[in-house]
Amino acid sequence: MYVIVVYDVNVERIDKVRIFLKQYLNWVQNSVFEGELTKVELKIIEKGVKDLIDQEQDSVRVYVLRNDKYLKTIELGTSKVKLSEII
Amino acid sequence: MRTNYYIIKDGILRRKENTVYFINKEGKRALPINKIYAIYAYGNLSFTSGVVSYLARNGIPIHFFNSYGFYEGSLYPRETLVAGDVTIKQAEHYSNKSKRCYLAKRFVEGATRNILRNLNYYSSSNLSLKKYIENIESEIPRIDGYDTIPQIMSVEGHIRDIYYNALDEIFPEEFRMGTRVKRPPNNKANALISFGNSLMYATVLSEIYNTQLNPTISYLHEPFERRFSLSLDVAEIFKPIIVDRVIFKLVNKRMLNDGDFVGELGDMLLSDSGRRKFLQEYHDRLSRTIKHKSLGREVSYQRLIRLELYKLVKHVLGTQEYKPLVIWW
Repeated sequence: MYVIVVYDVNVERIDKVRIFLKQYLNWVQNSVFEGELTKVELKIIEKGVKDLIDQEQDSVRVYVLRNDKYLKTIELGTSKVKLSEII
Repeated sequence: MRTNYYIIKDGILRRKENTVYFINKEGKRALPINKIYAIYAYGNLSFTSGVVSYLARNGIPIHFFNSYGFYEGSLYPRETLVAGDVTIKQAEHYSNKSKRCYLAKRFVEGATRNILRNLNYYSSSNLSLKKYIENIESEIPRIDGYDTIPQIMSVEGHIRDIYYNALDEIFPEEFRMGTRVKRPPNNKANALISFGNSLMYATVLSEIYNTQLNPTISYLHEPFERRFSLSLDVAEIFKPIIVDRVIFKLVNKRMLNDGDFVGELGDMLLSDSGRRKFLQEYHDRLSRTIKHKSLGREVSYQRLIRLELYKLVKHVLGTQEYKPLVIWW
C-alpha cells in the first residue's frame, strides 16, 4: 500500500517523529512523508509513532492508498525532493 | 517491499539519523533504511564506516560497477541464512560429474528456450528470423547428448552466436552488433548488452544472498576464486527475459540517441544519461508483476529469480527435480 503521513507535533518531540519515519518513508517536505509500505510496516509505524507523541497535544494523520496508481500529485511551486530510485 | 537504489552520481554515502544519506554538492537525499533492498553504485562513492556496518547489519548488499559499467565487486553482508546441509549437497552436485552436467544442461536449456521466446515474438513481423529459430531449435536436443562441461559451454556459445546474429535482423542499422565484443564493447549493441549483463549478475547475487545457497558453488561456470559464479549460472536464464527485453524496448522505441553513448566505434559505452534510461527500464521491469501459474498470485520479475533459486535448493536437497523457468506469457 502507499501511504502519506502528515504530522503536527510539538517542537520538543518533532525530531524524534521525523527521524523515526525516515527509516521507513521518503521525506517529501516539512512534516510530510510518503512511500510504499507493507501491512506489517504500517503497524510498526503506528505503534512507533504512538509511543513517541503526546496523545493530548499532537496529531498525526496517515492516508492509506491501496496502490500509488490511485495517487495523482499536483505540485505547485518548487519540488523539495525527487523520489526516483535512480540517483 | 524493499526497493533497489541505483546511484549514478558522485557523492558520499553516510549514516545519519539512523538512516542512509546520499550527499553531494547538489544536495542530499535520504534513503529509508528499512526500504532498501540493494544498492547499485555506478558513481564515485565515498563511504563512512558507519554506513557500511549499518547497511551490512541490515542485510543490504552494495554492488560496485566501474566507469565502464562492468561489475567490480560487492559489499556482501555476512551470511545470515546459513544451512550446512544445503552447502554440502550443493557441493555434492558439483563434484558428481553427472549431477553437475544435469544442472549445467538445465541452465543452458532454460536460457535457450527463453531466447526462442524472444525470437518467436518478432518472427511474425520479420520472416527472416525463421531460419535462426530453426537453427537454435535443432541445437536443443543436442544439449542432452553431451557429457562434459566444455562441450555444453560450447553449445551455449553457439546458440548465443545465432541469437545475436538474429538480433541484427531486428535492430535498426546503428544498433547492429556484428560479433559480440566485450571489454570494451565496440558498438552500441554490445555496450547495451555488456551493461545489462553486469547488472543482471548483481541482481541475481542479491537474490542468492536471501537464500541458503552458497554463491561460489556453480555448475555451468567453473567456480573460480573470488567470484560468485552461481550468479553467472542463474543469470543465463534471466538475461533473455530481463536484459534483452529492456534492450529491445530501448532500441525499438527509439528511446536512445547519440548523447546516450560515449566513445567511438571500437570503444563504446553508455553515458550517464544512457545509464539512467537503461536503469529506469531495468528497474521497471524487475518490479513488473505477472500472474504466476502454480502460485496463483502476482509475482514480480525480481521475485521470479528468487523462486528459481528456491527450485535449485529443492533440487540439491532431492525434494524436486530442477526444471528451468521458461516464460509462458
